[in-house]
Amino acid sequence: MKSTHLTDEMLQAFLLKEIANDSIDKHLTECSVCRAKLESYQYLIGSMQKITPETFSFDVTTIVMNNISLYEKKKSKKQELTFWGILIFLLIAISSFSIPFIPNILEVFYLKSIIPTQLLLGTGVVVLLFLWIDIIQQYKKKEKKIFNNNLQPIL
Amino acid sequence: MSIEENHFSDKVIVTNILNGNIQDFAFVVKNTEKLVAQIVGKLTTNEDDRKDLVQDIYLKVYQNLYSFQFKSKLSTWVANIAYNTTINYLQKKKIPIIEIAETIEDKYKLSENPELITIKTEAVGILNDELAKLPPLYKTLITLYHLEELPNKEISEITNLPEGTIKSYLYRARKILKDNINHHYKNEQL
Ligand SMILES: [Zn+2]
Repeated sequence: MKSTHLTDEMLQAFLLKEIANDSIDKHLTECSVCRAKLESYQYLIGSMQKITPETFSFDVTTIVMNNISLYEKKKSKKQELTFWGILIFLLIAISSFSIPFIPNILEVFYLKSIIPTQLLLGTGVVVLLFLWIDIIQQYKKKEKKIFNNNLQPIL
Repeated sequence: MSIEENHFSDKVIVTNILNGNIQDFAFVVKNTEKLVAQIVGKLTTNEDDRKDLVQDIYLKVYQNLYSFQFKSKLSTWVANIAYNTTINYLQKKKIPIIEIAETIEDKYKLSENPELITIKTEAVGILNDELAKLPPLYKTLITLYHLEELPNKEISEITNLPEGTIKSYLYRARKILKDNINHHYKNEQL
């Protein structure tokens, strides 16, 4: 029926196989106007794959990786600052809280004989040493793990 | 590459980066920069802005990598970030992404009959020119659909637009292109 032509949407959808319809087929065989239009669209859609792709005039990988390592450096610096900040704050808080107890602690050392004092100090030193060695061992283990991870084959 | 393989290699790359192999992020950039170029390049033409946008986009990708759920391809997710970042930037600059300046059709009231069958394949230069005149969003959708050959569903994931909207924008964009290219040839013949 030539009275109502196919719409542009119908023609495009027909070309892109989004719709299949016998009445469209029929109209196209009968109507040269719509057929010509269809052909225009066919050429357009066919040549669309040859659109020149956009490219950047700069090396994206280099720029991005530089930017990210800069970001990482800033981040680790910030983390370090936060760490020291918290540590110093805790140190001040703990020492100010412990001021009232200092005389009591000193009293223990003054009153008792030398042997318990030495025993107390000795235990303290041993515990500290133990903790120190443990921390170092853990650090080495983690460092090794990170090192191994970096040498992993890239998939 | 099948979807499963794609997802697998996405997973390997993302896991490696999250484990501290920052260098592996270069793979993400290499795998996605072509698609990002189509989106950023079609949405904005300013060279300096493109450079800023690319850095901004990939930094966002890097910062949010831990939240990537592998529900889509990594490239689609990156493209979505690229699209949103560029759109935000255009909105800040008050650059319309869809407004069509007067189309040829409105200006000259083209006669519908007979259509000129003159859009020849060698005329890609004219197609590129006419494409460049389209609103940014139309340009981007046309490129994603016809050049990158992405399915509507993926374009929808990238642009957050419903598939129906994408379809009708594409119809409209193709009609404008066809009419303008026809008009171009009509002028040449006169
Ligand atoms: Zn007709």
